[in-house]
Amino acid sequence: MNGASRILRRTAVALLLGFAGLMALAGEAAAHRLKLFVTAEAGEIAGYAFFIGGGRPEGVDFAVKVTDGREVHRGRTDAHGAFRWRPETAADYTVVVDAGDGHWTEATITADRLTAAVGPQTPSTSPPTVKAATAAPASETTAAACPEPVDAAALARLVEARVDAAVARQLRPLIEAQVAAEGRVRFNDVMGGVGMIVGLAGAGLWATARRRRSEGEAS
Amino acid sequence: MAHIPDGVLSAPVLIGGAALAVGGLALGLRRLEERDIPKTAMLAAVFFVASLVSVPVGPSSIHLLLAGTMGMVLGPAAIPAVFVGLLLQAVLFGFGGLTSLGVDVVDIAFPGVMLALLAGPMVRRAEGWRLVAIGGVVAGLAVVGTAGMVSLALALSSADYLPSLRVIAVTYLPLAAVEAVIGGFLVGFLARVKPEVLGRQATREAAA
Repeated sequence: MNGASRILRRTAVALLLGFAGLMALAGEAAAHRLKLFVTAEAGEIAGYAFFIGGGRPEGVDFAVKVTDGREVHRGRTDAHGAFRWRPETAADYTVVVDAGDGHWTEATITADRLTAAVGPQTPSTSPPTVKAATAAPASETTAAACPEPVDAAALARLVEARVDAAVARQLRPLIEAQVAAEGRVRFNDVMGGVGMIVGLAGAGLWATARRRRSEGEAS
Repeated sequence: MAHIPDGVLSAPVLIGGAALAVGGLALGLRRLEERDIPKTAMLAAVFFVASLVSVPVGPSSIHLLLAGTMGMVLGPAAIPAVFVGLLLQAVLFGFGGLTSLGVDVVDIAFPGVMLALLAGPMVRRAEGWRLVAIGGVVAGLAVVGTAGMVSLALALSSADYLPSLRVIAVTYLPLAAVEAVIGGFLVGFLARVKPEVLGRQATREAAA
């Protein structure tokens, strides 16, 4: 029994040292899982895939699917694991990235985040313009200072697109941070898992000791 | 890599993997002696923590599996140890799915346990550098075995997720090399300080 307790002590010390070393090595305890960051930028679906703990899957397949599972686009990620695609109509799109070694992830982007730039587009693809002062000869003095828009709807769309772009720009780091934080392995969780394993071992020992005692009583 | 998420594998593969894992678990638990429980739990904890830490390599990222090492130290008890580690990783961190847990256990634990069983007689007899080399080969081959099993599970499920040979080669081969070094070193170390762990006769230096 003395030998057993010695190896227990030795292994426990080695385990703790190894554990501390791993933690120090990994810094922000890194982990292994492929995650996906997707956002809408000016009507484009853009984003990148990343491994929790670092690394991006470069040059791997990504596919864009619609809700019924039909594939509408397929491409490859660039050297930074990033992808970009402009859909023709606004709809719910699911982006699937397959790293090619069994790592696989997907994320969905909803139609309402694409609507402003893609959605109810006017048949003419020319951007909404503001009429020049010369086009309104009737009021030369005021037109120069305050040009009239072609129509209110076009102006509204223009403003909405610009606001969307600005909000997307500001939100991007926030969503990125949120996606990264979601997958981060927390020290507390790791310790909780180790504690559970210790508890399981204790339960196992208790069960075997109980069985041995009841066998001893029976005989 | 070895943590296959939910929704990738087909039902027959999932059921087959689960059945094999249950069989392995039963075998491992039946062989588990009372005095082996702390050792098994410690290696389960090491596996749980070590395979959370990943390093980017090439287009993917890798983490330690330690299956060969666990197989040499624990024998079939490595299967319950891997099961507990993977279950906690799935529940706490979402690494690998719960439905694919059986397949993951089979992929990771079985190659290590089988190679360790095959190499058992050699591990018990070999000395010095030969022993270190055997430990390294078992640990390294266990990784290759896991790569093969993962690829097989994916290939049997759907052509969509067929892993590319290039990615597997650039990610698993460095891992196999690293694990070979760890496995060889650990077996050499255990043979000196605690040979009984490997099923070897206690030598005089170790007993002293």
